Amino acid sequence: MAGSDQVNLIESKTVVPLNTWVLISNFKLAYNLLRRPDGTFNRHLAEFLDRKVPANANPVNGVFSFDVIMDRQTNLLSRVYRPAYAGGDPPSFTDLQKPVDGEVVPVIVFFHGGSFVHSSANSAIYDTLCRRLVGLCGFVVVSVNYRRAPENRYPCAYDDGWTALNWVNSRPWLQSKKDSKVHIFLAGDSSGGNIAHNVAVRAVESGIGVLGNILLNPMFGGTERTESETRLDGKYFVTVRDRDWYWRAFLPEGEDREHPACSPFGPKSKSLEGLSFPKSLVVVAGLDLIQDWQLKYAEGLKRAGQEVKLLYLDQATIGFYLLPNNNHFHTVMEEIAAFVNAECQ
Amino acid sequence: MKRDLHQFQGPNHGTSIAGSSTSSPAVFGKDKMMMVKEEEDDELLGVLGYKVRSSEMAEVALKLEQLETMMGNAQEDGLAHLATDTVHYNPAELYSWLDNMLTELNPPAATTGSNALNPEINNNNNNSFFTGGDLKAIPGNAVCRRSNQFAFAVDSSSNKRLKPSSSPDSMVTSPSPAGVIGTTVTTVTESTRPLILVDSQDNGVRLVHALMACAEAVQSSNLTLAEALVKQIGFLAVSQAGAMRKVATYFAEALARRIYRLSPPQTQIDHSLSDTLQMHFYETCPYLKFAHFTANQAILEAFEGKKRVHVIDFSMNQGLQWPALMQALALREGGPPSFRLTGIGPPAADNSDHLHEVGCKLAQLAEAIHVEFEYRGFVANSLADLDASMLELRPSETEAVAVNSVFELHKLLGRTGGIEKVFGVVKQIKPVIFTVVEQESNHNGPVFLDRFTESLHYYSTLFDSLEGAPSSQDKVMSEVYLGKQICNLVACEGPDRVERHETLSQWSNRFGSSGFAPAHLGSNAFKQASTLLALFNGGEGYRVEKNNGCLMLSWHTRPLITTSAWKLSAVH
Repeated sequence: MAGSDQVNLIESKTVVPLNTWVLISNFKLAYNLLRRPDGTFNRHLAEFLDRKVPANANPVNGVFSFDVIMDRQTNLLSRVYRPAYAGGDPPSFTDLQKPVDGEVVPVIVFFHGGSFVHSSANSAIYDTLCRRLVGLCGFVVVSVNYRRAPENRYPCAYDDGWTALNWVNSRPWLQSKKDSKVHIFLAGDSSGGNIAHNVAVRAVESGIGVLGNILLNPMFGGTERTESETRLDGKYFVTVRDRDWYWRAFLPEGEDREHPACSPFGPKSKSLEGLSFPKSLVVVAGLDLIQDWQLKYAEGLKRAGQEVKLLYLDQATIGFYLLPNNNHFHTVMEEIAAFVNAECQ
Repeated sequence: MKRDLHQFQGPNHGTSIAGSSTSSPAVFGKDKMMMVKEEEDDELLGVLGYKVRSSEMAEVALKLEQLETMMGNAQEDGLAHLATDTVHYNPAELYSWLDNMLTELNPPAATTGSNALNPEINNNNNNSFFTGGDLKAIPGNAVCRRSNQFAFAVDSSSNKRLKPSSSPDSMVTSPSPAGVIGTTVTTVTESTRPLILVDSQDNGVRLVHALMACAEAVQSSNLTLAEALVKQIGFLAVSQAGAMRKVATYFAEALARRIYRLSPPQTQIDHSLSDTLQMHFYETCPYLKFAHFTANQAILEAFEGKKRVHVIDFSMNQGLQWPALMQALALREGGPPSFRLTGIGPPAADNSDHLHEVGCKLAQLAEAIHVEFEYRGFVANSLADLDASMLELRPSETEAVAVNSVFELHKLLGRTGGIEKVFGVVKQIKPVIFTVVEQESNHNGPVFLDRFTESLHYYSTLFDSLEGAPSSQDKVMSEVYLGKQICNLVACEGPDRVERHETLSQWSNRFGSSGFAPAHLGSNAFKQASTLLALFNGGEGYRVEKNNGCLMLSWHTRPLITTSAWKLSAVH
């Protein structure tokens, strides 16, 4: 195996900048240490290794953040990111929840990635990403610290997402002036994308308005081994084996990958036909081994008559959006801005 | 399953604070790829919590590859072994972290083991550490590092580097130790302000609890605790919005004054300011208008058929109540009576004869509506200073007298014999009606905490009802007007505490045992009061209720003021 591994390593090095390669390889390495073959997870070590940052109510690069407890029962925390107020003074305690100032102010409810197991809303990589999203277009971003597997399996993450959606929807200070409603978008990368989809389904069923879904390399799967999984297995940081491990950690015990949480357009899923599902922006990295599942997802949305824009990035690997040192990053940021602003006329 | 809130604070952010004052990488701007000097740390990774020199990036990558290969070859427990060991090294320092991991998996022949790498840990280290499985507590020096400097001493024969102490300036912010192994001491600099907000509704509940706890502490003379709580209240109050915030702020201020024994603000004693504030209150919300309106109805009915009438007003202020009565009298069937008004009020701060001025204005109105008018103004510090003889009473066959008191009687309750004296004077006056308007709440109980609780609920409701009013100078002044009452009620004692409100049943007892009998307000008054209310915000929220012949104005279900009318009981 060693030989072909070396080939793989070299290959992945050619498609991403060196520091990106170092970052993602480091994650891969650490994650390998944390996953145990018996399906358990070394959570203490994971928390130790995770680079975290506190919220910061002092604006940095025009963005400030603060944490909120959304639900005491489950200790559901989220981090709110807002554009700094004119004048640049640090907001006082009472200003943190000052009503948003604008005819239409999009609020993005963001679910970080980590395959349902890793990372937190206060992980540096996600704190940085959320700050960048705010800096992009003056959106408010609410990053949800959902419960993770394997300690908390399906549907905990979705439940937390749902709680967060309701919380955001009921904040008077997040209402846009135009219609006194909160203009909500759901977004997420990897498992976060999966969560965004599932929260959107619940929203539609309950009548809460979501204006759009933004799915970055969303995590979907199925029992079948797709062509992309076989072709790209182990080549660009991710293996089929680790994907299997994460699904086993997240899905209810005894369930297989036909479960609708894993396979939203599989045989066991409910149809989305006829529902006023939000429009979706689905970003697929061309070197992501689960791209076939992601493409099936986009297809599934289209077949159900839902609006979807598919952005396929040829030479992108997982995690390309974590560092702004590549064209894919900038492309995606522009697409997201356009996608969100289209609703804000 | 409940998660631990600690988790969110993370033990590691001493080394990875992104919200720093150093330059942050370009967020967007396609063309601005990193232009970094060789010796500097990679900025982009730095923001993400990893410290890697740009010049070492390739080497770090190499190490990652090597580790990957070795891990592929290692046995299962070899990996577990690694997992345990990694906690001894700072994961932010990628170069050394990877290095050390490599050594773990592939110890060089020259040394006895990785222990040589880190003498500080070495002191307490022994092989019992490496038992695989979960993280164990890190004993000894590794845990409580305070200095900014640390060093890995190195075996010079190896190809490992000497890593000098991480200079604090290369770290992003925080004075917490730069490369502390294991837990970091969490410190926050001025440039980072981590905040967790609790739901403000939660805060609202906590606020009420804090207020009550503070009052209790004051009552039991636990002033240290009370002081601490008052500060908490201030903090919690600003997290609220609207009525809750204002009420809490006023109560907090009053508590603070009580705790620190500060005499009430000078304006407590300035009556002309009181008058002005009351006028604003009059404009903003229906309470005073309701009071005047209902009292006037009762007076009008009592004056029916009388040719000469005399009103003695214990609460003259700016005489706002009387134009309406005068107009009603002017329109009376059979023509208006001749109308005499005696206005009683406290002295003005500037000694001006404001009562006289008010009288003049009313005289002008009377002339305009053709009502024969006579006026006398009396200045008195307290109603108890009055004697019947001063009032120039005329025989009751010729003149019918009404005595009117709006929000004044309660002030007498702090003075021994005060209310009795006034009742005595009223009886001597022999009025056909004695109209009384008072706040409907018991703020005069013997126990401070009870008074505090009652008034907190009362004023919360009152302020709530004000929230609906459009923002204006009037509204602000109304709040100040009410705030002064709160201050007096909470911070003062003895004769200084004049806001001694009592409920209708309490007043009824007093009146009853002092020789007065109730004079029921008619259904007319009730209907017309309801109509009046409709003028205020569509009457939304306000209710008029009849209670034993008296009329109460409520905000939703809470009665706030009561108008009652009395006459001398048959015994007299």
